[in-house]
Amino acid sequence: MSTIAPQFRLSRFIASLFDLIFWVLLIFSLVGLPIVFIVLFYIKLPVINGQFMTPYLALTWMADPSRTLPIVKSFMHTTIFRVMAFPGFGFAALLAAATIFVERKFLAKIQLRVGPLYCGKIEGILQLMGDGFKLMSKEIIIPAKADKPIFWVGPLLFVGTAGAFVSLIPVAPGWVVANPNVGLLAVFAVIGFFPIIAVLTAWAANSKWTFIGGLRALHQMVAFEIPLILSLLGVVILSGSLNLSNIVESQEHFWWITFLPIGAIVFFITILAELERVPFDLPEAESEIVAGWLTEFSGMMYGLIQLGTYLKLYAFAGLFTVLFLGGWNGPMVWPPFPQDIITHGITIGPVTAKFPGLPLFDQDMLNGTLWFVIKTVGVILLILLPRGVFPRVRIDMILHTGWYKLIGLAFVNIFIALGLLYAGVLGPGGLLH
Amino acid sequence: MVDSVFLALSVLTIGSAIVALEIRSLIYGSIALMLTLSGVAGFFLLLDAPFVAMFQLSVYVGSIAVLILFTVMLVRRDLIFNKVEDKRRRYAGIGLMIVLMLGIGTIIIGSGLKTMDTHSSAVDYKKIGEDFLTYYSPALIVMALILASSIIGAMTLARREDVINDQRAD
Repeated sequence: MSTIAPQFRLSRFIASLFDLIFWVLLIFSLVGLPIVFIVLFYIKLPVINGQFMTPYLALTWMADPSRTLPIVKSFMHTTIFRVMAFPGFGFAALLAAATIFVERKFLAKIQLRVGPLYCGKIEGILQLMGDGFKLMSKEIIIPAKADKPIFWVGPLLFVGTAGAFVSLIPVAPGWVVANPNVGLLAVFAVIGFFPIIAVLTAWAANSKWTFIGGLRALHQMVAFEIPLILSLLGVVILSGSLNLSNIVESQEHFWWITFLPIGAIVFFITILAELERVPFDLPEAESEIVAGWLTEFSGMMYGLIQLGTYLKLYAFAGLFTVLFLGGWNGPMVWPPFPQDIITHGITIGPVTAKFPGLPLFDQDMLNGTLWFVIKTVGVILLILLPRGVFPRVRIDMILHTGWYKLIGLAFVNIFIALGLLYAGVLGPGGLLH
Repeated sequence: MVDSVFLALSVLTIGSAIVALEIRSLIYGSIALMLTLSGVAGFFLLLDAPFVAMFQLSVYVGSIAVLILFTVMLVRRDLIFNKVEDKRRRYAGIGLMIVLMLGIGTIIIGSGLKTMDTHSSAVDYKKIGEDFLTYYSPALIVMALILASSIIGAMTLARREDVINDQRAD
């Protein structure tokens, strides 16, 4: 007969509890408190309403909802908020997660199926959450002969690179994580990392399916990087800048797709190839090589790769929007914030509550974000559409398309842009600028 | 801040360069080479030359390192490499490197680079482009001709005569 704890004694149990409390207190006072003080020493705290913000004051204000808003507002203008929440990772991950669900429903509707239906009662809306929990709870299996360091680091690097790509996309005027002068070149540099990660993880898994898939990914991505870069040069020539925010501002009156439709089409096709989507999904062709270079991933490692893939999809769609569809430009449809609330506060019956610093976001930013999201979602749906319609293409056809036809079309596009520039129609100092 | 970043980048670049030379596994060697090239890109960023840094990343890490990786993965290494273990060669290489570094160092220190203005603003990439098209245009034309001829040469070499027309993709 076995029991869970054969020699259980209450006194020992209580003694062990005290022991635990002692060690926690000791470690907290020796290590935790110094860390807290060091962090507080280095963090730059803002001055709000003429008062220097200390953590103690912040905690006091948090209890009063009318004083919480300035703290929240000052937090929203910090770099950490931009990286983690709004134009950065959180926003992109939200759109990416929505994309995964919409893709499943959208494909199902195209093929006259129902798609996810039961989870969450209404049209299977909680399916994604269920899938996420499933992935997190699954075991991570590493193949016995795999090269473990590279295999472990691969998914993290993939998500990191996709996050770096996301950070370069401007969402609304002034709302961008990284705004370098050479933003488009930074995009090219980041894109160049994806094939390396694909082929390294494929090699590290030590399986023939992954290796074939990785080599295909490498072939395809390297071949399509060149038309991708060339097709965007027309935009650079016409807008006279490599900064993505400046490129958006240059499209205030005309979207570049109206003048450079060939470049837009070439860029769209290269997006499909870079994202390994149908009809160019040879690196993960399910019916031929199991799942290509993703074959050996399981559990949350696969989840990270999926997250990275969809972040990349959002980033490419956002890049298309920024370069060809005018980014955040659009008619002002967002209603202005009611002035009464700013001046008089909200009156409910006898109580009047004043909220200092209430318009958390200004109208331009909200309107810009709305238009950016509408356009980006449109581009994402266009990227998803071929998956329900087209069959897979042969590898030599892909490479032939990339090396011969798309590069030729990209040069035609550059010549159109140069013609418009030298005719004095567009570009810096042009007629329509 | 800049000093510590410079030190960290130097350690990363030189350390991964040594690893790239010394490690047994070819794949890890090429990864270390990528790290070296990325470290050089980091130096360019420190020197206020983001244009060059981005090209360093996209050309060297994104293309040349990929090419090396591709070659290493596809070719059986017994066929192209034969092991020559010679201690004296290594010491000779290290000695040659030290002599070279000392020579270049004395030249640089003696050349008056110390009087360089370190507080000038970063050069705009538009200025680089203007200079290329005006003062340095002969160099640009020569580079363009060299690149075009090498591309044509590569296409001529890679062209296959044995493929039957039916098998072509178009």
